[in-house]
Amino acid sequence: MNKTLAVIRREYVERVRTKAFLISTLLLPVFMLAMAVLPALLMSGGDHTSRVAVVDASGSGLGQPVLTTLDAATIGDGKTARPRYEAMLFPADAANLAQVRDGLIAKSGFAKGKGRDGWDGVLVLDADTLSSGKLRYYGDDVGSPEGMNRLQREISKALAGVRLAKAGVDQSLVAKAMAPADMDTAKVTDGKLTGQSGEASFALAYAMGFLLYIAIISYGSRTLTSVIEEKNSRIMEVLTSSLTPFQMLMGKVLGVGLAGLTQMGIWVGTAFVLGSQGPHLAGAFGMGAAAAGKFAIPSMPPALLVVFLLYFALGFLIYGSLYAAIGAMCNTIQEAQQYAVFVTMSILVGFMAMFGLINDPSGALGTTMSFIPFFAPFTMPVRWSMTAVPPLQLALSLGLMVLGLMACVWFAARIYRTGILMYGKKPTWGELWRWIRA
Amino acid sequence: MSASSVSVEAVTKRFAGHVAVSDLSLQVPSGGIYGLLGPNGAGKSTTIRLIMSILQPDEGRIALFGASGNSRDLSARIGYLPEERGLYKKMKVLDHLVFLGEVKGIARNDARKRALDWLERLDIGDWAQKKVEDLSKGMQQKVQFAGALLHEPELVILDEPFSGLDPINAQTMKDIVVEIAASGRTVLFSTHVMEQAERMCDRVAIIARGKLVVDGTVAQVKADFGGRHVALGFSHDRERANAVLADPRLIARLDDYGASAELKMADGADPEQLLAALVSAGVGLRRFEVVEPSLHAIFVAKVGVDPDATPLPAVAGAAA
Repeated sequence: MNKTLAVIRREYVERVRTKAFLISTLLLPVFMLAMAVLPALLMSGGDHTSRVAVVDASGSGLGQPVLTTLDAATIGDGKTARPRYEAMLFPADAANLAQVRDGLIAKSGFAKGKGRDGWDGVLVLDADTLSSGKLRYYGDDVGSPEGMNRLQREISKALAGVRLAKAGVDQSLVAKAMAPADMDTAKVTDGKLTGQSGEASFALAYAMGFLLYIAIISYGSRTLTSVIEEKNSRIMEVLTSSLTPFQMLMGKVLGVGLAGLTQMGIWVGTAFVLGSQGPHLAGAFGMGAAAAGKFAIPSMPPALLVVFLLYFALGFLIYGSLYAAIGAMCNTIQEAQQYAVFVTMSILVGFMAMFGLINDPSGALGTTMSFIPFFAPFTMPVRWSMTAVPPLQLALSLGLMVLGLMACVWFAARIYRTGILMYGKKPTWGELWRWIRA
Repeated sequence: MSASSVSVEAVTKRFAGHVAVSDLSLQVPSGGIYGLLGPNGAGKSTTIRLIMSILQPDEGRIALFGASGNSRDLSARIGYLPEERGLYKKMKVLDHLVFLGEVKGIARNDARKRALDWLERLDIGDWAQKKVEDLSKGMQQKVQFAGALLHEPELVILDEPFSGLDPINAQTMKDIVVEIAASGRTVLFSTHVMEQAERMCDRVAIIARGKLVVDGTVAQVKADFGGRHVALGFSHDRERANAVLADPRLIARLDDYGASAELKMADGADPEQLLAALVSAGVGLRRFEVVEPSLHAIFVAKVGVDPDATPLPAVAGAAA
């Protein structure tokens, strides 16, 4: 036991001490933050005031109500509100519509740097617009789905107002009827409010799955390379004369796993800080408060943290021992990669399943996958963060994980025992089978 | 003498295509220095790996200290320096030695103290906090040597311990090996350098092509080889000796080194006759000495693979 501890300590200390560990510990959160913040920054392109030219060829005076609605839209609310659109009306008729439109389009483009006449977009209302609701928008910002949806909503509002007025409904009544609904989401677990918004729980599940994937694949493959290094540096012969293959395997996998767990601890700690200080930090990154609020990193409930770390530990032990066994079979990294592909694929399937899960956490797929030991490390924590998992399912999943782990370690130890002293050609499948049975 | 430290009984080990060790039996008594000699590829390393349970014999059995456990169970009592040296390149020297001590079951603090002592003794104390990869090959070998001896094993197994060392380091290691034996512990080492084995070993076993050629105490091996041997050193007119040295009535076997030679007298011939013949031929002699056969000569005679040796055609069959 003391010998295994010595191996664990060596693996742990030698890993945590390296520059690579420090760098990856620092860089991953930065990278993940960038992943979270960049899309938000890119998507929030609509947060500047857009200059919209409204060409009214409807013949029914549709332009004015549209203009009024657009002028009423604001970015943010309360004191910080700024107009969302700066719209101007250009009357036209069926005859000169194309000419007016093309003239305006010629002046649109990246209007921010241009003069007074530069347009972000040109909105064309024609004779059919009122009845069919069809209209066209030409702009350099049509690639932003969020911006286009918003614009369409505003115009729909204007159209509805005009149609109701035409049907003889009182204007003040129309205004009351059109007052929009404003929904905030909140997540419920086990009949209790968790205080998370729906978006926050999505972000949390996504971040967790990503972290698990990165950590298991990078630390798992590290056991593989480290076994191959030991074989190549021939230190293996000294080790085998003092340690049993099982001691070596467990020491290595646990040592590397603890290093991974340490890194996870640092990251999760950082996430806590970001969770509580998110808005301030977002401000430092120059993000608007709205964008920051949307992508703030949510605080992690303690139960989730336990589930997360538990599944990381078990998942890592399963994959780590498989990777170590592959390392023992081979003499070069290149050779090992041919076999490692099978393990990596299995990790990838678990990771990919997560995306399906985020849509339907309690579906048949998610439930089944969280019982399969190879996929459970990815699927279960995500399910847990998204929805309430029955305790029986959690217990069953953990039990199966432990069984799977024991099978993998047994299998890996068998291969390890023979493989670590094999140099030269790589084994055939038949030979591998003999190693396992021997 | 107490029970054997290492007992190898009728062991055979085959690898795909060839037999590495064939029906080999050895007894290494406890205490003293035991040399395992043989040319490259004779099966020395395979034998040592079998003793260390790194390989399993196909036939026969191996016992250590007369106990039933294999070398891993007894690893606290055994120190092992493999032929292929290997250390963790990125580890600091001191940490590495502590680790090697720990896997042999020494407590961490104790291992640290012993490691520092060893580094001091091997003159590499200043390198304790350096990474292994920053050390020269020779220094790395010293570190590994210290690692094998840190736990004061009663049996030390060294595979080619002096290869790749400069004379000064080789001397340091030799002193340590001798000291271990002097303290009553057992050293088993392999080498293909005969002079070294001859000077250090109490007992030797010569193996070739996986088979035991001869074993016993050095004195016994020499006595059993028999015959009278003469060592010659030439000062001038070396070529005039050729005719004399080629005379099968005088000489049974010749190891010719150019400026010197070692030879075995033919049965019934006297060293005096040889001296007279050489003097009358006008050969300049620096040295003429009746000697015991060297292990080298015995080795060459028994194994017959030394490319330096020129066995006489007339007696080559008899000597083999």
